[in-house]
Amino acid sequence: MRVAIAEDGVLLREGLSRLLEDAGFDVVAQCGDADELLLKVRSYPLDVVIVDIRLPPTHSDEGLRASLEIRADYPSVGVLVLSQYVEVGLAMQLLADSAEGVGYLLKDRISDVTEFLAAVRRVADGGSALDPIIVSTLLSRQRDDDPLTHLTPREREVLVLMAEGSSNQGIADKLVITTRAVEKYVSTIFGKLGLPSTGTESRRVLAVLAFLRA
Amino acid sequence: MASVAFAPVADLRAARAPPRPSLLWAIGVAGLAAGATTLTLALTSGMAAAELGEPLVVALLTVWLTLSYIFGGMLAWWRRPASRFGPLMIAAGFTNFLSTLVLATNDVLYTFGQALDLVPPIVFLHIFLAFPDGRLKGRFVRVLVGTAYATAIGLELVRMYFGGFGPRNLLEDHVNPGVVETALKVQLTLVSVYCLMGVGVLVARRLRGGRPLRRSLALLVDAFAVGLVMIAFLFVSAAFGGPWVAQIRWATFATLSLAPTVFLIGLLHARLARSALGELVVELRGDLSPSDLRDALARSLRDPSLELAYWLPQFETYADVEGRPLDLHTLALGRATTLIDRNGEHVAALLHDRSLQDEPELLAAVTAAAGIAVENGRLQAELRARLEELRGSRARVIDAGQKERQRLERNLHDGAQQRLIALSLELSRLEQRLGADPDAQLRLDQARREIALSLSELRDVARGIHPAVVSGHGLKVALESIVAHASLPVRLRIDLEGRQEEPLEVAAYYVVSESLANIAKHARATSATVDVSRMGRQIVVEIVDNGVGGADTERGTGLRGLADRVEALGGRLRVWTPTGGGTRVKAELPCA
Repeated sequence: MRVAIAEDGVLLREGLSRLLEDAGFDVVAQCGDADELLLKVRSYPLDVVIVDIRLPPTHSDEGLRASLEIRADYPSVGVLVLSQYVEVGLAMQLLADSAEGVGYLLKDRISDVTEFLAAVRRVADGGSALDPIIVSTLLSRQRDDDPLTHLTPREREVLVLMAEGSSNQGIADKLVITTRAVEKYVSTIFGKLGLPSTGTESRRVLAVLAFLRA
Repeated sequence: MASVAFAPVADLRAARAPPRPSLLWAIGVAGLAAGATTLTLALTSGMAAAELGEPLVVALLTVWLTLSYIFGGMLAWWRRPASRFGPLMIAAGFTNFLSTLVLATNDVLYTFGQALDLVPPIVFLHIFLAFPDGRLKGRFVRVLVGTAYATAIGLELVRMYFGGFGPRNLLEDHVNPGVVETALKVQLTLVSVYCLMGVGVLVARRLRGGRPLRRSLALLVDAFAVGLVMIAFLFVSAAFGGPWVAQIRWATFATLSLAPTVFLIGLLHARLARSALGELVVELRGDLSPSDLRDALARSLRDPSLELAYWLPQFETYADVEGRPLDLHTLALGRATTLIDRNGEHVAALLHDRSLQDEPELLAAVTAAAGIAVENGRLQAELRARLEELRGSRARVIDAGQKERQRLERNLHDGAQQRLIALSLELSRLEQRLGADPDAQLRLDQARREIALSLSELRDVARGIHPAVVSGHGLKVALESIVAHASLPVRLRIDLEGRQEEPLEVAAYYVVSESLANIAKHARATSATVDVSRMGRQIVVEIVDNGVGGADTERGTGLRGLADRVEALGGRLRVWTPTGGGTRVKAELPCA
């Protein structure tokens, strides 16, 4: 899998690059700013880019803008956005139209190597990866007459993993249950929340997010 | 506030003394003699009758032209000694007289008069361009007038040298009708062109002036320009045989002879202005607020473009009545400045139309009458300037604090946080290499957890220092996050397009986050709304809850700090918190 990294901290960029190479990724480019990243995306066929949300020169939203541009112009390239803080509002911007091939994780997640690499692969394959903090924030959001209270704890767990972008197989592995059991949970949850069942796993993410945010 | 170096353009003391009465008497007598001479010559000469018909009418018009310029000039000189316009008018009158010597029977006088035949139109051009102070301003205008005189006299002499004026012309030497014909055409055409160029200069001046000249003077200039166009038309017609020559000739005579009268009307206007001084005094006795003072002065000086600039010695600058600094250099462009002093101290400067310089008595009277009001205005301007400075310094203090917090947050982000993440990553890779050593695995895992905890704490600290998400992604994104984290259901409505200025966004962010924190702590509310919208030139942020109300707005630094932030931006923070009726916090922030 071919990957490009945009991160202005050298230490982290090098570490990330070694981590990915050790895991068998082909790190095609290491970029220090958004312009360089966009140039590399135009020049090489890539499966996924990993982008720091704060990049030079102003360290405000350069990374985010580059990510949105890549998502619009190169839909086949997965975009995994990393940040030292995660914001519900930014997640909504990133996933505004689709949750396909997009991820938004706290930088800290890198150190959980297995999880992180799984997330990179998922995003490269067109899936999604949403930081647990975002999901838990949305889940714990105060609502009048909260329909989430009708879910069992197990259903809640499945909902969280689903929102984070896990596939049915991933959920089954994590909760140590069969995929058939996962499918059953999913349809029960959709029924309780009054959501129409959707096809792909990334569409599922969008539907759940839209519900949680409403 | 920057200090302004200031050079007065004119001062009341610069007024010149009027001419001695004996001199005026002498000019008057000479003028009358000139008029009588012209009249005599016209009535005794058969030539004028052949050329223009009614000899008496022609004679009277010519004499009127001569006398009106001479006596108008005397009056102007006497009333406006600072201006050279009076002497110039007198000179024009006498030049006109000299050109009438062409009617004389004496050959020397005739030749002299003929040589000056075409000078009067040029004198008129000169006068028009020199209005109102009698000086020709600008190199182009001076060259234009000089060339015009040279053309009028020079080509006349050429024509006389080559004959064509009969036997009484003493300059005739080589008779050559062809040369005479050509010289005449060239001469008339050139004089026409000069006159039209003069009109062009006058029009350009009015356009460049950009602000309303005092009305009577504008009228005068317009009247002048018409006369010049007529002269040009007349000469072109004479040279190439155009229509209505006779009618235009009469109209030109009429316009030119009316010009001095218009100038006298201008003088009379100044007398009218002096009666406006009485109105000013009455207005000053009433409750004239400092902001109305400028208008009152403009009315009594008949100069709508008038500006009043107060001198603020502490700030070493001029300012308007609101205390806003004024750049006198820019304001004084094309205008005259009169300084107003009181008790030996400089108080203000009056920037007015230059033509007012011709009425120093009026200026002195008006500024003296307005003395106390001007002093009051200055005090108000000073007070406002101080308030403005205070507001500015408060804004700067908060802004400096904000910048420092931003810098700290940036340092944390790029420094400690980045290193901790890299360290944690390194530990993970080490853990993978280590293989199956349960004890080491456990300890590494523990270390990573510690780092994760530190990162989480650092993140909270950094966010507390400066909400980077606001400066990075704007108010909308930042508020969505606050609301998502709120401990009660919050309905968020944002009706804003695009980004606002950063200090404004940060202030609005703090208003919302502090208010929601207060609601969580004290209000015992079950729901709240946050509204952000633009109302004209304001961003209005409103937070309403349905809690117990009765919040203590005095104790605690939270609300006070918010109010400081909002007021430093020139905005207003208000809180309604009736007991049992919920709490409403409303911030109005001025925006571009």
